[in-house]
Amino acid sequence: MTIDNQANNIIFNAVDNGIIILDKDLSIIGWNHWLELFTGKSEKEVLDKNLCQLYSYINKTKLQRRIKTVLVTNHSTFYTMDQNNFLIDIPYNNITNSQFKSMQQNVTIVPFNLEKEQVCIFIYDNTSLSETNVKLNDLNNELKELSHKDYLTGLYNRRFFAEEAARAIALTLRNNSQFSIITMDIDKFKNINDTYGHAAGDMVIINVAEKLKELIRKSDIPARFGGEEFVLLLYDISSTNAMKVAENMRKLVENLEIHYENEIIKFTISFGVAQFDTFKDDNNIEHTIVRADKALYEAKKSGRNKVVLAK
Amino acid sequence: MNKPIVLSEDEKDCLQELMNISYGAATAAISKIINRFATLSIPSIKVISSEELSEQLFSKLKDNKTFFISNQLINGNLSGQNLFIIDSLSAKNLASEFGLEEDEQSQEDIEDIVLEITNILSSTASSKLASLLNTRIGFSSPTIKYVNSKKDFDNEYEYNYENIIVISTNLQFENQNINAELVFMKHKKSFEFLTKQLNEFLDDY
Repeated sequence: MTIDNQANNIIFNAVDNGIIILDKDLSIIGWNHWLELFTGKSEKEVLDKNLCQLYSYINKTKLQRRIKTVLVTNHSTFYTMDQNNFLIDIPYNNITNSQFKSMQQNVTIVPFNLEKEQVCIFIYDNTSLSETNVKLNDLNNELKELSHKDYLTGLYNRRFFAEEAARAIALTLRNNSQFSIITMDIDKFKNINDTYGHAAGDMVIINVAEKLKELIRKSDIPARFGGEEFVLLLYDISSTNAMKVAENMRKLVENLEIHYENEIIKFTISFGVAQFDTFKDDNNIEHTIVRADKALYEAKKSGRNKVVLAK
Repeated sequence: MNKPIVLSEDEKDCLQELMNISYGAATAAISKIINRFATLSIPSIKVISSEELSEQLFSKLKDNKTFFISNQLINGNLSGQNLFIIDSLSAKNLASEFGLEEDEQSQEDIEDIVLEITNILSSTASSKLASLLNTRIGFSSPTIKYVNSKKDFDNEYEYNYENIIVISTNLQFENQNINAELVFMKHKKSFEFLTKQLNEFLDDY
């Protein structure tokens, strides 16, 4: 099929993407209507101008290399963008778009006239797809975050804790370091629920979680294992220092007053503390948690509101 | 059960010769673009499973802990995927060959060079092979992945190929420590087309 010049011209200007015809020295030979509209520069204005002088942020070496590739191989090539994701900065004026200030582009360079060493650059608007990808990515991260957290308190859940525990063991063995576990349980929690109702019980749990978050370091892993039971993994801490953390938490909760429907709820927590021990725990964190739980049971048995160190 | 892909000795020989010519075109293009002499070793042709491919690639690259894999989809009668696999050190050396100074070699720049070389090698060699077999092909934009374990690789590339024809070659540059592998993988329907065209080619000579 032969397309005459008039047909070529119609296609060149009617097509819904940008077309630049360039020679190997980057001089502009063609600039279609789409580019005139989006850049505000007419073809007349830019003809014979150097593309990289017109838009100084374009990586000249890279573009020239790509053009050489096209001219040598007689095949199209794909121009990979830097982090801005555009060849020519075209402001993106979509009022519903909050992600990108500039049009996100896909750019392909194809042979145009090999004898005259000219190439054609196609610029495609890829903004919608990029937006969808960013949203999808954000939602995926949110989903990942949600799957790691307990819905009521925002503390980590048991599944994430298990993953983190495996990491803690690997790090401890590799670096010859240490970590400790604190298990804690709200004393007589059933009484709170029975006396003030489940909403009050939830409030107590949320308050404990908040206090826990305030007290610990960013690197520590606080988790809710269900009901009124919490577990805390403390990196690089011996049992002696973990005892101090538990004691601080115990005092904090002891002095805490929760105001609920004209009532003041006061409560306490019991704690069990265990330092991970390669031999005692057989490299299994479940064994460390069991030892901490036994200590917690001792704390409950000996009057509650206590911190007990595991054997 | 699907009939396994088998290439006769004659077909294999013929394909190897055609690939030699195709790779010749690819290295000539590279030499022209960066003014350096590059060679691609004589292509080896194997028919293997997806799992074997992953094993094979990793046995070759076991000494290098990290590498880049770029991947280009090929459309048309010879549809499939071309992989270009290069270890990180070779990729850095490649970037130097392309004129990038050491302080310019960010991960992004190196990936860009690997993508470019993939495009040159893969499109030139594949197009040459297609033209020798009287057909035409199209390409998609290559993508790149930084991989540091076999698991990474297997997670990223779940092949939907029952059997793969692997045509692989090593790329080497004069006076430079650059080792990379180019792998062509073809779909089964492309394989049928390929054997038909190879036999026509054999009949002509």
